[in-house]
Amino acid sequence: MSEAAGRAAPEKRSISPIFWLLFGAGGMLAAVFGPALILITDLLAPTGIGLPENFEDYSHALAFAKNPIGKLVVLAVISLFFWHGAERLYLTLKDMKARPLLVLKFGTYGVAAAVTLATFALLLSIGF
Amino acid sequence: MSEKRPFTRPIASDWWAHPPYRAYTVRELSGVAVAVYGAVLFVGLVSLWRGPDSYGAFLRFLKSPVSILLNLVLLAAVLYHVVTWFQILPKTMPKLIVDGKQVPQARITTLVLRAVGFGAVCLVLLTIGFAR
Amino acid sequence: MPDAALAEKTIELKILRYRPASDAEPAFGSFTVPYTDDMSVLQGLQTIKDTLDGTLSFRWSCRMAVCGSCGMMINGTPRLACNTFLRNLLPGPVTIEPLNNFPIERDLVVSVGDFVKKIESIYPYIIPREPKTIEEGPYLQTPAQLAAYESFSDCINCMLCYAACPQFGENPDFIGPGAMALLQRYNGDSRDGGRLKRIDAISGDNGVWSCTAVGICSDVCPKNVDPANAVNQNKTNSAFDFFLRFLRKEDAQ
Repeated sequence: MSEAAGRAAPEKRSISPIFWLLFGAGGMLAAVFGPALILITDLLAPTGIGLPENFEDYSHALAFAKNPIGKLVVLAVISLFFWHGAERLYLTLKDMKARPLLVLKFGTYGVAAAVTLATFALLLSIGF
Repeated sequence: MSEKRPFTRPIASDWWAHPPYRAYTVRELSGVAVAVYGAVLFVGLVSLWRGPDSYGAFLRFLKSPVSILLNLVLLAAVLYHVVTWFQILPKTMPKLIVDGKQVPQARITTLVLRAVGFGAVCLVLLTIGFAR
Repeated sequence: MPDAALAEKTIELKILRYRPASDAEPAFGSFTVPYTDDMSVLQGLQTIKDTLDGTLSFRWSCRMAVCGSCGMMINGTPRLACNTFLRNLLPGPVTIEPLNNFPIERDLVVSVGDFVKKIESIYPYIIPREPKTIEEGPYLQTPAQLAAYESFSDCINCMLCYAACPQFGENPDFIGPGAMALLQRYNGDSRDGGRLKRIDAISGDNGVWSCTAVGICSDVCPKNVDPANAVNQNKTNSAFDFFLRFLRKEDAQ
C-alpha cells in the first residue's frame, strides 16, 4: 500500500468544532433545565398555578437581573439556547437546500452572536 | 472491457421530509424550539431593560391564551429534544465498558433520562417551595 | 382444471436496469419468479439470471452476510440481498435498485473506487503504540480493551451505511460512516498508537464535520457495527484536539 507518495494533501481543518461545542453546551443545558424553565417562567408563574402571581413581577425580575449570578444564568441560558438552535436551524435549512449558505450562516449563527452581545450589553446596562 | 459510463442518479430534494429521515428533521426542529424559548426570554430581558411599563406589557402577553398555547407547544417540543438528545448522547462517547462488556446505549439513555427527569421535578418543586 | 398442488407461488421483482453501452439512463424492468419460503432476494436475482435474463448484473459472493458484496436498495431500504427474504416482502412487487448515493456502473453494480480510497486513506493497520520484537512476546489485550473497539472490527464494507447517509448523498467527499468505523477500530485499539496520523482524516469539513448525526447508518448496518458511534465520538475528539492541539507533545504526521 503506498504511503506518502500516493496520499493527497491533508484537508484543511474545519472550524466546525467551535459551533459544535456551543451547540452541545446549549443542547445539554436545554436538556437538563429546559422543560423546568419553560414550566416555571412561562406556564406556572404567569398563570399563578403553584407559584404566586407576582413571582416574576418587575421588582423580582430586576433583582434577579441585577444579581451577578442571575446575570450569568440569564446570559448562559439565552446565549447557549440561541447557539444550539442556530446550528440546528442552519443544518436543517442546508438539508432543505436553502441557499446561499452565507445568508444561512448570518441568519443563524450571526443572529446567535448578535443576541449574545445584546444580552451581555443589556445585562451590563441594567447594572448591579 | 465494454463501455464504462457510470450514471449518477439525482438526490431527491425533499429527502428530509420522507421516512426514515423525517424523524431526524423533526428532532432537529425540536432543537430550534430551544432557541424560540431563548427568544421569549430575550424579549423579556429587553422589556425589563426598557422599564416597568414595557415589562408589564411582556407579563400581560405571557398571561395571554396565545402565549400559554405557544409555550405548551414549546414545552412539548423541548421535551422531545430532551429525549432525543439523550438518545444521541451515547453515540458521542466511547463505548462504556463495565465488567468487560459494553453497556448498551439504550441503558445509558434510560438511566440519564431518569436522573434528569428527577432533577427537573426537584427543581420545579424547590422553586414552588422557595416561593411560598 | 389446473392442479392446485402444482401451482407455483410467484413474486414480481421490479429491477432498475442500466446498460451503459445501450441505455441513455436507467429504467425499470419487471420479472416474475417462482419462489419458496426459504429464498432470499439474491436467489431471486440468480433465478432471473439463470432462467429469464442472463444480462442481469449484480455482485454477490458468500450468500451469508459476511462478504459485503450484495448490498442494494430493496423496497427503498439499503439491505444485503442474501439476507433479505422474499417471504417477508409479500405480496410484492419488490423494487430493487442499486445502492443509493453511488454512481451506477451497470444494473445493480455501483462504483466502489472512492470508498476503497477512503478506506486506504485512514492508515487501516495497527501502528504499535509500543513496538515489540517477536522475542518480547505478543501484544496483550484484556476483554474489556477488546470490547472498546470490537463492533467496529465487524464491518464487512458492504456500504449500506453510505447508501443510508443523506449527508454522503449531498457530499460524496464525506469520508463517511464505514471508513470512520474502520478508523475507530484502530484508534480504539489499545495496541495502536497512530491516532495523530489519522487526525487529518477526521478534522476537515469532509471528515466527521459533514455528519449531522442522522444515525440511520447504524440502523441499516447488518453487522451492528454502529458507525454513527465511530463518527460522533470523533467529533468530540476532533473538537478537543482543535483547541488543545497547541499542547500536543508530538506533531500530527
